[in-house]
Amino acid sequence: MREKQLRTRRPQSAVPTPAAGAPAPPPPLCSRRLRREARPAPCAALRRAVSREVSSAVRTRMSLFGSTSGFGTGGTSMFGSTTADNHNPMKDIEVTSPPDDSISCLAFSPPTLPGNFLIAGSWANDVRCWEVQDNGQTIPKAQQMHTGPVLDGCWSDDGSKVFTASCDKTAKMWDLNSNQAIQIAQHDAPVKTIHWIKAPNYSCVMTGSWDKTLKFWDTRSPTPMMTLQLPERCYCADVVHPMAAVATAERGLIVYQLENQPSEFRRIESPLKHQHRCVAIFKDKVNKPTGFALGSIEGRVAIHYINPPNPAKDNFTFKCHRSNGTNTSAPQDIYAVNGIAFHPVHGTLATVGSDGRFSFWDKDARTKLKTSEQLDQPISACCFNHNGNIFAYASSYDWSKGHEFYNPQKKNYIFLRNAAEELKPRNKK
Amino acid sequence: MTICQFFLQGRCRFGDRCWNEHPRGGGGRPHSGPVRGAGGGWGAASQRYANVIQPPIFKHSTWGGSGDGGGFSGASDFGSPGNKSAVFSQNRFSALSSAHPADGFSDEEQRLLDCVAKDMATWESSGQWMFSCYSPEAGKPNVSGFREFSAEEVRLEYYNCSANNNTENYINSVNQLVQEWRNRLQELKALNASGKESLLSQLKNAVTQPLPSLGFGGQQASSFGFPSFPVSSSSSAASFSFKANPSVPPGNAAAVGSSAAASNPPTFGVTSSPSVPNPVGSGNSSAPSAASFSFKTSGTTSGCGTSGLSGFGSSAAANSSSTAPLPVSATPSAATGTSQSGASSASAAQTAGASGHNVTSAPSAVPNGIASDKLYTPRSELTAEELEQFEAKRFTLGKIPLKPPPIDLLYL
Repeated sequence: MREKQLRTRRPQSAVPTPAAGAPAPPPPLCSRRLRREARPAPCAALRRAVSREVSSAVRTRMSLFGSTSGFGTGGTSMFGSTTADNHNPMKDIEVTSPPDDSISCLAFSPPTLPGNFLIAGSWANDVRCWEVQDNGQTIPKAQQMHTGPVLDGCWSDDGSKVFTASCDKTAKMWDLNSNQAIQIAQHDAPVKTIHWIKAPNYSCVMTGSWDKTLKFWDTRSPTPMMTLQLPERCYCADVVHPMAAVATAERGLIVYQLENQPSEFRRIESPLKHQHRCVAIFKDKVNKPTGFALGSIEGRVAIHYINPPNPAKDNFTFKCHRSNGTNTSAPQDIYAVNGIAFHPVHGTLATVGSDGRFSFWDKDARTKLKTSEQLDQPISACCFNHNGNIFAYASSYDWSKGHEFYNPQKKNYIFLRNAAEELKPRNKK
Repeated sequence: MTICQFFLQGRCRFGDRCWNEHPRGGGGRPHSGPVRGAGGGWGAASQRYANVIQPPIFKHSTWGGSGDGGGFSGASDFGSPGNKSAVFSQNRFSALSSAHPADGFSDEEQRLLDCVAKDMATWESSGQWMFSCYSPEAGKPNVSGFREFSAEEVRLEYYNCSANNNTENYINSVNQLVQEWRNRLQELKALNASGKESLLSQLKNAVTQPLPSLGFGGQQASSFGFPSFPVSSSSSAASFSFKANPSVPPGNAAAVGSSAAASNPPTFGVTSSPSVPNPVGSGNSSAPSAASFSFKTSGTTSGCGTSGLSGFGSSAAANSSSTAPLPVSATPSAATGTSQSGASSASAAQTAGASGHNVTSAPSAVPNGIASDKLYTPRSELTAEELEQFEAKRFTLGKIPLKPPPIDLLYL
């Protein structure tokens, strides 16, 4: 597998860039540059983008949830822009009433639900749900509690239920209509990942846990439909029917196929040298899952195809979330890749890292599309909404530097960004 | 034949086509030159040749002073180097091969070692997450001695500790782990010869068994090393077996076999002192006990790992005693220990009782079941020489057995 230094498209002088790289030719479309320079306020952009969706039913959706268990202030006031600190250098929309502790996962509602709803699980043992409106306003809707930090969350395919996985070794199903949550899964160790599987002949919840098992639950029964053994603790997983990819400790990597019933498809030798941290499956042009991106703690992402025509050439890794571009003399600071998400329409990907930046990449053109400014906290989670217009990322401490750098008083944020334009793939030259 | 003067200067344009002789011995190690009156001339020639490899500093003085003509004339003087060069192709770059380390690592191995050293340096300076496994190359198994924890696991520890006002414990444990990591890293950065050997054998042996290496990283995984933890019965206690330092301290860097598996299977009994006397032996015993696990469904692996940890306390004595005699028998050839230790660790596990049951039934069942097939020859059918060949690290040419190997020597 080759190591690629992705070409960075080097942008405008206004943005100080860490990546030296080779000087890239100016972007071919001057319209893009214009758009960048005259960038409107995020609110307006988001409004324009989001307004393309069918949103008339949004107001009526307020009755979707039962009584909102308030967060306290609730309210839609944006915090006054504090220019001194760097918590939002990209000037993205802040979600109101963010969780009180680090955010571990973000997920947007599926397309079956009109409008956009965002859930976030946090280390404060809660999972919160907001409605994201077309104008960019976020309205806190409801929250549920676990007895331990929430590590992962996902939506059911019809958007009526939210599944949450927690360190209290259970997973819960949260019915949003009734605002009730019931336990649906039990493990012997904290549950790290949870995904909803919707197959033609069955549907279930897949939970991966640090007890080295992968369990599949029919939500109505207290015993799992199936249990699969993992070689090691499950660290991250992703499901795009009919494929599931699970990355475990000790660089374990297994792909499952989910037709008929889940079974192990292949164990893959890790293309990375260090601990796996996050994985995301991508699809090909005909919307079939064809491979996955795997991120490690060492600032590197591997793109791996399951059945490539030419494995040596098609699979590659690239470095990201490092401090000094290509300057090899000074030792680089290397940061973990905390999350990877693929744009549902364009197929380009976003990575977020412990360095407090997010980057957009085009894996087919093998280039970097954009890197953000550095936030003052690591970015711990990210996701796209179902049509790819909104990119949400959470700024909160991910424990990458140990307990000394943990400040419980520090505010955690979730930002929303208009992703319609920036993630367009680069045209191959 | 006449010696090609240009070749000696390193600039023969004909290369292998040259009609003159390209003496290979001139570029070889100084001691490999012919021991003769012309030895002095040769010594000078090789030195000169070595000079040429770098951008040429071609000193006429040394050339003239060494008694050139006398040294090089007369084909008879060069009978032996002539033979040598007949055996080996006329290789201008033979001097480069003399740069080959006397410890005899091949290029590939050297590359791996360099890679490891470089990666260690990067890891140290980059500030990246410490508690991670590591492997020098994509397809290779993990290097032993690195404990793997994700940030979330560590964080959960902290939260649980602070819920019990036990943060000092947490801090101490973390510091301890950091120290371990640092030690191991320093070790790998500056490997001595035996360290290199064991590292290379680790990487090579386990290359043939990538699956088991995945399967076994995990035995020790959940043990975080918090000594006084059993007190807090909160959620994590069951999964994090907080016994005193279960894993082999990284000092035992030479442990062979897949990453963390090297440390734990011999040390199921957490309470026993983990340092196994002979690294080679322990390494080998880990591999086969890994092999024995591969036969059963890994369901019992997790059972071993999580549930009966106290049960293993009793097996500790049994296990460590079983591993002790192993190194003695293992010394003759690296792989000898495999089958024997596999059996003994299986039996040791049997004494433990707890989940040993499942463990042993499988491996005992399997050899009986499969061994009699045509795919593998039972041990009884092999001659002593064949057995020795199978157990050696490498086959010796001319002695390669024609029968398939016995199943218990295979890493499955």
